[in-house]
Amino acid sequence: MGQKITIEPVTRVEGHGKVTIRLDDAGKVTQSRFHVVEFRGFERFVQGRPYWEAPVLVQRLCGICPVSHHLASAKAMDVIVGAGPGKLTATAEKMRRLMHYGQMFQSHALHFFYLASPDFLLGMDADPAVRNVIGLIALDKELATRAVLMRKFGQEIILATAGKKIHGTGAIPGGINKNLSPEERDRFLKGPDPLTIDRMIEWSQAAIDLFRDYHRKNKDLVDRFAEFPSNHLSLVRKDGALDFYHGCLRAVDADGRKVLDDVDYQDYVKHIGEETRSWSYMKFPYLRALGKEDGWYRVGPLARLNTCDYIPSPLAQKEFETYKAYTDGKPNNMSLHSHWARLIELLHSAEVIKELLLDKDLQGTKLVKKGRRAPEGIGLVEAPRGTLFHHYRVNDDDQITMANLIVSTTNNNEPMNRAVNWVAMNVLSEKPEITEGMLNRVEVAIRAYDPCLSCATHALGRMPLEVALVDAAGRVLQRKVR
Amino acid sequence: MLVLGIGNPGRRDDGLGAAAAEQLKKRHLRSVTCDANYQLAVEDALACAAHEIVVFVDAGRGLRKPFTFAAIEPDPRMPAMSHALGPTAVLALAETLYEQRPEARLLAIRGHDFSVGEGLTRRAEGHLALALIFLEAFLKGVRT
Repeated sequence: MGQKITIEPVTRVEGHGKVTIRLDDAGKVTQSRFHVVEFRGFERFVQGRPYWEAPVLVQRLCGICPVSHHLASAKAMDVIVGAGPGKLTATAEKMRRLMHYGQMFQSHALHFFYLASPDFLLGMDADPAVRNVIGLIALDKELATRAVLMRKFGQEIILATAGKKIHGTGAIPGGINKNLSPEERDRFLKGPDPLTIDRMIEWSQAAIDLFRDYHRKNKDLVDRFAEFPSNHLSLVRKDGALDFYHGCLRAVDADGRKVLDDVDYQDYVKHIGEETRSWSYMKFPYLRALGKEDGWYRVGPLARLNTCDYIPSPLAQKEFETYKAYTDGKPNNMSLHSHWARLIELLHSAEVIKELLLDKDLQGTKLVKKGRRAPEGIGLVEAPRGTLFHHYRVNDDDQITMANLIVSTTNNNEPMNRAVNWVAMNVLSEKPEITEGMLNRVEVAIRAYDPCLSCATHALGRMPLEVALVDAAGRVLQRKVR
Repeated sequence: MLVLGIGNPGRRDDGLGAAAAEQLKKRHLRSVTCDANYQLAVEDALACAAHEIVVFVDAGRGLRKPFTFAAIEPDPRMPAMSHALGPTAVLALAETLYEQRPEARLLAIRGHDFSVGEGLTRRAEGHLALALIFLEAFLKGVRT
């Protein structure tokens, strides 16, 4: 009998993921899809609202990366008020950078230690009841303690720069509304221990060592699991450096050839298309230069380290050189290497935070700039999960008339589908029995991209996953809900 | 005592938890710390471990009463994909990592509209008012 596997939610959910894998009578995979089950309503919600409210309103999209939406929206509104790229005061830009790198730090730490490391340290076949942070505590309490404190450190940076946890107001059109006081700065520099930036740098390096050790012992798995060629897209600084806050669009293909380079993101519409498919609410973005079929791309840590030429902080640059040497300088297309890339970015974020904390511009008092008003603005940042696009039009009454958001997880839609398909074909297909461990490998493949379906569906919520096994007639034979 | 509101004010009544924490904070109750966030995460275990009594406040769907108030226990089960934790998982983390087990309650306040939008519905506001009277009495030791 043909079968179909699905993965679904049980809790209060507004955006959630579902994996459907169809098997024929012989148990051979005939189709696999990773899709979401939520209609997007947020872009309509902001229409009619005054433009200056957008940086606050958009934080409601996501409880995990509100800062990314806050900053992408603020950058778009900078353009609207005539204070676009390069026009902010030094204090404003550096405060925003501190907020953003604080967020990258906490998000990457949370993802690696809380979501990804249990797969590595406890094993992909471990019981889901223990393959989590609680299981991690039993294995390595010190590591779990660090995970909590690293997340807390990043959150404290965000609080000091954005003002509050819900609906932070740090970034406003044309600048920021507060600087960093010497007391706040000293708290991050001097502690109380262990909540100091030096300790965070030390722990970030230890996290990279942890991954490398696992890689050394499990090379075949880490290198082969969900490996497939793709294009890669991100912002890079004008000189090719890794930059999470601002830059030009660059895309490379699987062999490293530049498909886009030095593209001003105000022109993104000319270069990025968005395809819809009947079976998913998430769109499928693509590079227009390569077309719908071949133009799909990855974003996020793996993509960023494939597009940038170097990392502008010494410790992370050293790690980057080792990382690049592993693929002889060619783009890295190994899904599980996303974790390695993420940890190098974690270290880079910590280094940048320290550099910013030592910069006296953060105590400056010139916070806002204004210029000639524009009817349209586009803001991009490199969010933890990848490139985030915010695009708005505003009328003469200061009301938003159009909003278009392409979130990181949407950019990774096709790659996540490819990763699921890899597991379906290589792990599940033609097996007499579908085990818990096999289904977990579907999760591991998706988890490498650290998706946030709350963002992708533009509605806040948790992201449980349903996997079910369905026969050729559409009957669900086996279902797992996580 | 710690009161932790959970929810998203951008999804109408989903903002009940945050609204409860915000309103309670303004009452300046002795020995009561109020905080709120979109969702719970690992670092909330640290805050829970530092308090003897923790009350999580969240919007509830499908309730027949204006609110429910129940004791909750640590539970190590966690979602596979979410970055967020439920209250019982946060308690499990506090217990396992910090060896602290605060007395915990979950106050669920009935919500009616969870669509994208601002402001609580009129009915949810009524439920919130009743729930806060109860919660304040609990925190002052009048109710258990």
